[in-house]
Amino acid sequence: MAIRTEAQAIPGILPGKVGVWWFLASEIMLFGGLIATFIVFRLGSTGWHGDAAHLSVPIGATNTLVLLTSSLTMVQAFAKAEDVNERGLRNNLALTILMGLAFLGIKAIEYSSEVWAGYTPASGIFWSFYYTMTGLHALHVLAGAIVNSILLGAGRLRNPLRLELAGLYWHFVDIVWIFLFPLLYLA
Amino acid sequence: MRESGAAVLDVHAHHAERGFWRTYVFSTDHKMIGKQYLSLGLFWAVVGGLLAHVMRWQLAWPETAVPGWGEVGPETYNVLVTMHGTIMVFFVAMPILLGAFGNFLIPLMIGARDMAFPRLNMLSVWVFALASLVLLVSFFIPGGAASAGWTGYPPLSAKAEYTGVNWGMDLWILAHALEFAAFLMGGVNYLTTAIALRVPGMTFFRLPLVIWQLLTATTLFLLSVGPLIAGAVMLLLDRIIGTHFYAAEGGGDPLLWQHLFWFFGHPEVYVILLPAVGLVLDVLPVFARKPIFGYRWIIYSTIAAGGLSFIVWAHHMFVSGMDPRLAMPFSITTILISVPFAFIMFAMIATLWKGSIRFDTPMLWALGFVAMFIVGGLTGIFNGSAPADIYISDTYFVVAHFHYTLFSSVVFGGFAGFYFWFPKMFGRLLSEPLGKIHFWLTLVFFNVTFFPLHNIGLAGMMRRIANPLEYEFLVPHQWINVVATVGGMLLLASQIPFVVNVVWSLLAGKTAPKNPWGANTLEWTAPSPPPHLNWGETLPVVYRGAYEYSSPEVAEDWLPQDRTLAARSR
Amino acid sequence: MASHGRPNYVAIWGWLVALMILGLAASFLPGARGLAVALIFATAVAKALLVALNYMHLKFEPRLIYAIAIVPVLFVLMLIVALFPDFVFSR
Repeated sequence: MAIRTEAQAIPGILPGKVGVWWFLASEIMLFGGLIATFIVFRLGSTGWHGDAAHLSVPIGATNTLVLLTSSLTMVQAFAKAEDVNERGLRNNLALTILMGLAFLGIKAIEYSSEVWAGYTPASGIFWSFYYTMTGLHALHVLAGAIVNSILLGAGRLRNPLRLELAGLYWHFVDIVWIFLFPLLYLA
Repeated sequence: MRESGAAVLDVHAHHAERGFWRTYVFSTDHKMIGKQYLSLGLFWAVVGGLLAHVMRWQLAWPETAVPGWGEVGPETYNVLVTMHGTIMVFFVAMPILLGAFGNFLIPLMIGARDMAFPRLNMLSVWVFALASLVLLVSFFIPGGAASAGWTGYPPLSAKAEYTGVNWGMDLWILAHALEFAAFLMGGVNYLTTAIALRVPGMTFFRLPLVIWQLLTATTLFLLSVGPLIAGAVMLLLDRIIGTHFYAAEGGGDPLLWQHLFWFFGHPEVYVILLPAVGLVLDVLPVFARKPIFGYRWIIYSTIAAGGLSFIVWAHHMFVSGMDPRLAMPFSITTILISVPFAFIMFAMIATLWKGSIRFDTPMLWALGFVAMFIVGGLTGIFNGSAPADIYISDTYFVVAHFHYTLFSSVVFGGFAGFYFWFPKMFGRLLSEPLGKIHFWLTLVFFNVTFFPLHNIGLAGMMRRIANPLEYEFLVPHQWINVVATVGGMLLLASQIPFVVNVVWSLLAGKTAPKNPWGANTLEWTAPSPPPHLNWGETLPVVYRGAYEYSSPEVAEDWLPQDRTLAARSR
Repeated sequence: MASHGRPNYVAIWGWLVALMILGLAASFLPGARGLAVALIFATAVAKALLVALNYMHLKFEPRLIYAIAIVPVLFVLMLIVALFPDFVFSR
């Protein structure tokens, strides 16, 4: 007597996708809480512009470019999976992971140069926010890279849905950076 | 492309081959996971109850050592207050109402064989067990457990020097983080399951109300916990690496924590309340043998209350030094939120109107909830209006208020659900006389314990003080503390019939039939207790709403959701 | 996913990079700081929308998924507004 446990999912609704979106909703609130706090503190205080000027805009812009491009390769990996192009899929996914690691490497260099210049999380409220927000984001990039590596390593690539779900998370992390970059570096 | 990782499972293989560990410990079965949450919650209820007992003894007889515990100094008292609140809210109410009933009921009531992500579900309960372990360990480390209040306000919580507790506070934050992770996993599971795995015919407006309430509660949790996690990360970093988020001298602001905490904290109390309301809403029509009153409007009210709960949080902060311009809008929203809840309460009472009421044990608890929650809800209106709250804030009036709401949710609502679904959960019937004794004793001593707290609160007794006799104006009122403490001890003793009842029933109780109460919802069409994957080869199909009691179309006074009209027995 | 057309992912990336450069250029704008900040965040919002609608396929999703994505964003905006009196006006 074989019973299909998940076969009766309501047509048109993929449980995995609903689940990931709910998870992302809670993530929006997590980063949203941080960003909301940052915004009101930033508007309510003076002198932050001077602190922010010590951040390197070229490094931040490079990292933005890296992450935007990694989103492209991630979505291309999904497209190749739909086209049943295993080779293209693997190449794109590997590129995504590499760019995620490159982002983290650049971030590490940036952190060390800042700490070298004497700006630690305890140096002031701007730096507290800077390290907390970018640090939490970097952890999310790392988690995304790990998820993608598991997908690549386990060879579970036949099902494009898995890539789409991993992609949803990856693009979300990208969007968070899209807001963190102007908030911290430019404004 | 429509594939959902559909797993084909063999029922026989699963029955025969799952050994002890896979059945009872590392189980992916939603029913076992629900029972695991229930067991952990009941364990913590004992711990939290004992902490409450020590506190109450200290308040009644501050100069006497507590029997079995010893002298309670102010530092120890702070630990008791903090851990009692933390445990009762996060480690009793949530695992029992959301964890246990959510896991057990959602798949069974919507006709699913299990949760959408069973392994994630198992991970959820194990992360919760880890959180429990961390919290338990924090009692036994140097410095003791956290003592900055269950709300953990900085600066008290931000520096070890202020409370004398260092590691305990870090473990307290860690335990919360793990607990939130557990309920995030559980919450994603609940919502996805209910959205994607409903059986054919089970439309959203045929769902039992308890499912609606559980889903709303879960949504509130998922959408409110983020800012608190952000705030907790900041608090941890303030403590560990010296950031300045809550330190005014470094440009931070301690008030920030209160905003982030209560942005979560107020939806959180509805995370606890709504499942209890749902349990009661499902019990009442069964024992009134009448359709629920205003099914759709209860749903709309629930959603409205859920939405409003996100914009009332600052009513916890009227005396915090918050900008006074915020007080009026938040008072208005707070008073406004009583409208949907008042509707739900009236719907409960209207459901009873002209019903053929049966006073079985679950019904008694449900009625107890209605009566007691109304007291708590009405005192809430005092607390919600800024001018009144400035007088009663942080007094025992507030303590009485939230015990009338939370205690009635967890204990009256929880026991209504527990006595109602126990036959389905464990396949045994409970003793009715013992259940009724349990109810009446609990009802009486609950009121003896908590009602006097209103009075002593209005007399000016503050929360979180270790020795009321140090305040001259409270000395004449000390007898009220003694009454409440004696009531509290008898309230704890009132739980003995419950323990006897459950143990006796599990060992020697009568085997439960499929549908002992004559109820309509789908879980009563499965065997008691339901096997792994809940139903046999075919799943039920739903043809009607959940509350068609005393329908003129059939001879019996109930009409199950899976009965077709063709099968009417007229 | 086969049921709908596929966005031109590379073209979207081109737009994203162009918007990024626009935002960077805006930050060097002389004179009115308000205009620069408005421009910077307008490009950020545009980028986020492009990613969400195309790369995350939000434009092909049912309303339910939209709701799951949008409601938290509204709550965050509301949180910002509610925090203004305490942290912006009072300092």
